Amino acid sequence: MTLAQVEDSPIDWEGALVERARAGDTRAFERLYREHTGRVYGLCLRMTREPHTAEDCTQETFINAWRALAQFETRSSFGTWLHRIAVNVALAKRRKAARDEPVVEAEVEEQGVEPVWTLETPVEVQEIEDAIGTLPEGARDALVLHALYGYSHTEAAQMLGVAEGTCKAQLHRARKLLRERLNVEVG
Amino acid sequence: MTERGAKDSVMTLRDLPQAIEPARDLWPQIEARIGRNGVRAVAAGGARRGAVAPLRWLAAAAMVGCVAVGVWIGRSMLPGVAPAPLAQSARPESGALQTAWVSDPRYQREREQLMRSLGAQLAALPPASRAKVMASLATIQQAKQELEGALGRDPGNALLQELLVNTYQDEMRVLTDVHEASDAGKGI
Repeated sequence: MTLAQVEDSPIDWEGALVERARAGDTRAFERLYREHTGRVYGLCLRMTREPHTAEDCTQETFINAWRALAQFETRSSFGTWLHRIAVNVALAKRRKAARDEPVVEAEVEEQGVEPVWTLETPVEVQEIEDAIGTLPEGARDALVLHALYGYSHTEAAQMLGVAEGTCKAQLHRARKLLRERLNVEVG
Repeated sequence: MTERGAKDSVMTLRDLPQAIEPARDLWPQIEARIGRNGVRAVAAGGARRGAVAPLRWLAAAAMVGCVAVGVWIGRSMLPGVAPAPLAQSARPESGALQTAWVSDPRYQREREQLMRSLGAQLAALPPASRAKVMASLATIQQAKQELEGALGRDPGNALLQELLVNTYQDEMRVLTDVHEASDAGKGI
């Protein structure tokens, strides 16, 4: 890379902040927190459905991330890495709070084009959020990670610690339940 | 669930807002818990550094790594090259951002002294160490240029200002390490 190319290239501020945080700079880590807290809290809230629990999960996520910064591969997405931690934290909290929901292995959806989770008619945000909130945990987790946060079946399954087929089955279940609860087609 | 900035209605689930801000600032509690770890990490790093004096250049390189503003390719500086270009590159740039820290007279005086003696100190170093120091300083200089260029486009950016000051501090650490190693007569 020439000097001119260096000057024209975008600056990787997040990478710089991660490096500083690794060196013990809490101010740099605070910047990362400010940048990512909304998405982390949003994920935690959708998984836990309890604002206080979601706050606890968010705090634990960033504390765990701070402790594990040395293991973070700087070439990968810091946001995705945080999400993986957040999912682990939320699942761990849930395990403590209640028994796990039975795993759904049936009704695996046909392979092919992944649905984009389009609604037949526009639906109010709050109505959808409420409907998502009523889904069983496994179906909700898969839906949130795949349909809202855009992770692939494989990524979502890895994050949730389930087989990819299980994740797809949960999504199928989520779609069916959403369709019933919103009374609109979910394509 | 309270949504901020959400649309009234959406046609796909992907349109739902991914970010939801918590009702309160969670950072103070996070900071309280990680702050202690941070202090410990810094203290441990300092102890290691003192115990392994011959590897002090590694600490300098690590500090340069801390800057990590993207991927910088240092200018080619061969060990045999005289340090004059470095001294020139490290001079305070005319028209550069003058943050309070950088324009501090004590900082300026100390830096000037270190820069004056840098040439002789570098010449006394083994070629490999000299090359590493020069590469580190070149990387820092590149960082400063990047940051000052970015600040020229966004002068009010507090993060840029902070990173620039940190970069100046990194430069001072490298210069100080070279100076101390030279004084001790044991190389870097």
